[in-house]
Amino acid sequence: MGLSTPSPSGERTSRWRWLWILPRLAFILFVGGVALLLWTSDRADKEERRATLISDMLWLEQNLRFHLTRNEELLGRIDLAHTTNAAGFESFARTMFGFESGLRQLIWLDADGTVRLAHPITMDPSLVGDAGEAVPSRQSFLLARSLGKPVYGKAYPYFTNDWQFEVHVPVSREGRVVGVAVGVYRIRDLLGDSVPWWLAERYRISIVEDSGKVLGTRSKVESAVTDEGYQVGFDPPGWGLALHAVPYHAPRPVASILLSASLIVLAMVVLWSLWILRRHAVRRQAVEEQLRQEYAFRKAMEDSLDTGMRARNLDGEIIYVNPAFCRMVGWPAAELIGRRPPMPYWADDHLDETRAIHDRVLAGEGPGEGFELKFKRRNGEVIDVLIHEAPLIDAHGKHFGWMGSMVDITERKQASERARQQQDHLQSTARLVAMGEMASSIAHELNQPLAAISSYCTGAANMLRNDSPPAEVVPALDKAVEQAKRAGQVIRRIYSLARHSNDRFELISLGEHIDAALALMETDIRNRGIRINLDIQAQALIEGDPVLLEQALFNLFRNAVESMRDTAPDQRQISVALACADHYARLTIADQGCGIDASVADKLFDPLFTTKAEGMGMGLAICRSVVENHRGRLSFEANPEGGTMFHILLPLAAT
Amino acid sequence: MSGTTTHIVDDDPAVRDALKWLLQSRDVESRTWESAQEFLAFASRDLCGCLLLDVRMPGMSGIELFDRLRALQCRLPVIFLTGHGDVPMAVQALKDGAFDFIEKPYDDNALVDKILAAVDQDNKRSIRENSIRLLEQKVAQLTHREQEVMQRILAGKLNKVIADELGIAMRTVEVHRSHIFEKMQVRSAVELSQAISPLGNKPPN
Repeated sequence: MGLSTPSPSGERTSRWRWLWILPRLAFILFVGGVALLLWTSDRADKEERRATLISDMLWLEQNLRFHLTRNEELLGRIDLAHTTNAAGFESFARTMFGFESGLRQLIWLDADGTVRLAHPITMDPSLVGDAGEAVPSRQSFLLARSLGKPVYGKAYPYFTNDWQFEVHVPVSREGRVVGVAVGVYRIRDLLGDSVPWWLAERYRISIVEDSGKVLGTRSKVESAVTDEGYQVGFDPPGWGLALHAVPYHAPRPVASILLSASLIVLAMVVLWSLWILRRHAVRRQAVEEQLRQEYAFRKAMEDSLDTGMRARNLDGEIIYVNPAFCRMVGWPAAELIGRRPPMPYWADDHLDETRAIHDRVLAGEGPGEGFELKFKRRNGEVIDVLIHEAPLIDAHGKHFGWMGSMVDITERKQASERARQQQDHLQSTARLVAMGEMASSIAHELNQPLAAISSYCTGAANMLRNDSPPAEVVPALDKAVEQAKRAGQVIRRIYSLARHSNDRFELISLGEHIDAALALMETDIRNRGIRINLDIQAQALIEGDPVLLEQALFNLFRNAVESMRDTAPDQRQISVALACADHYARLTIADQGCGIDASVADKLFDPLFTTKAEGMGMGLAICRSVVENHRGRLSFEANPEGGTMFHILLPLAAT
Repeated sequence: MSGTTTHIVDDDPAVRDALKWLLQSRDVESRTWESAQEFLAFASRDLCGCLLLDVRMPGMSGIELFDRLRALQCRLPVIFLTGHGDVPMAVQALKDGAFDFIEKPYDDNALVDKILAAVDQDNKRSIRENSIRLLEQKVAQLTHREQEVMQRILAGKLNKVIADELGIAMRTVEVHRSHIFEKMQVRSAVELSQAISPLGNKPPN
């Protein structure tokens, strides 16, 4: 029944509310996934780096061992040419130092352990090797000589900030140890010579004692981080040296940072958009709820209305009707919506009128104060409605139709009609009573002298019959005459009362008073569906009393209207024609009523003669009296088309 | 003799005068009154004759005067004259004891005849009333014992029976009987019965 039907639910909202968990859950999963991804990738990264570190360190250790082993071999190959003179030794040492072996000093000990040659010679007297022994270490010498194998000594400080250790390589000739070649490694230099640059860039590599003391470091940057480091045992001397590497904190790869950052940003964006979406949805829901409530409120309001509402678009098509309207006309909304004129509820007898007002409304020229119309119910009953039309404006301010509100005023009209009839009845009764009262007064006034005359005359006759002398009778007769005069005066007084003086005559236009008299009858004429054909051809100016003339015309119109009580509705018409000729205005009032029976035609103008049950028989008498008082003439004849024609001839004003 | 006077009450002097003249032409004595009040001041229960009464008059109306007269127990026959008479008013007036109700215009001599009839009726009534009043006076002269005895005489009882009933001597009854006849001016029980009949069957008290 409405323009649209919204779902009647608040429950749907709650039924689908759990769906809100989904995006939240999804978001949490998403963020968790991203975090996990970042964490695993970071972890994998770390493990990979550690693996690299371990392999690097293992390689480095290998490399160092290779260095040391090669140096051992080279030292073991020292020959006589080198050990016998200083120059040869020096060249041998230079060769040894030449290929970055990490060696910094070569010492040649003879079989007794005496230092025979050394290069470079410069010895620091404060140097103490082998945990307090002299340099080179006696213990290592002995061990090497007895074992016949290279022996490494314990590391000892060299000057204040460096450490060095020795390798004692026994040299044999023909199965006999002839001496021991001692190579001195300076730890810092060993690292510098054996650790390649690309490794040094990645890690801080140090050699530590088993007590954790750092003996030497190859490093470009100082780093405090040690926990991530890796230590691998490096045991050339057999005294617990180890290689320790700490990876420098290499900056994370830009791509990874970007990826993480973008993931975080994306997550934020998703969160934000989700929040926005939710806020939007919530607001939208609130608005929808409000709208639904508003709609329900309006619907309840319009459904409870007694006023019928009907909306039409600009083409006159019905687009909406409310229940009150349906009740009023008896048609269901489904059968009315979409209908175009003529509407099923238009009253058959008023189709033209209804169509005209319909077109006027659609053209925007409808009466602003509303209009009355007759509608037909589905059961044929005709109702009176009062309609107000208002333009329909859509949300964009565009005028797209008309909304009509309808009030059923049938009862009101009937009541007013009844009241009017009651009023008429009262008036006519009041007139009758007044007239009866007047007639009674007149009768009394006349009865008194007549009764007196009668008594005088009877008495006189009685006297004369009894042979009384005539002289006794005369006074009674004189008195009787007096009473007869009195009666005559009463009658004269009544005449003067009834006769209107000509004082109130004025120049009037007959046409205007025809209109005025018709206006007095307007309700009756409309209620009975009578057509009035006006043919006023002349501007008839006459001298007369407007009130009396209007009364006379009113009487004639009323007779005409009432005579058509039994005429078929489509034939009910009154023709009024006014023409001027020969100094006379000729007014003809023709009805199509019951006509005048020939038997009563002669008595028609007699006072107190009436053909109507409730009539007084004064109407036509008054009319004639008024017309004659205006020096005119009232006559009638049968209407050739049925009914009666009354003619009034009135002299035109002499101008 | 005032007993046969016809009283005319009408506010119209011409009508009064004409009616007086009419009655005079038939030798009926009449007296005119301008208003109901004037007549009411004069009226008494002894009035005899007839009253010709106009209904519509300024001041007290004819109907009202009629009611007042009845309140005074004046039995004067009343003939209403009216130009405005209607059936209910006439019926009520006649029920209340009016002699007649005549609408104007009327036949004058017929009116006079009606007046004469009313006067005659009133005369008979007054004569009858006078004789009853006389009889009542006579009965009133009897003593209580005499009235008791008279009742039994009228019942046709013998002296002996009466003496037994009253517990007195027959001789005493005879004395009472002669006293009764004397006072009632009759000579026999039959005469007594006839004389007492206008009083009806009601026993004298």
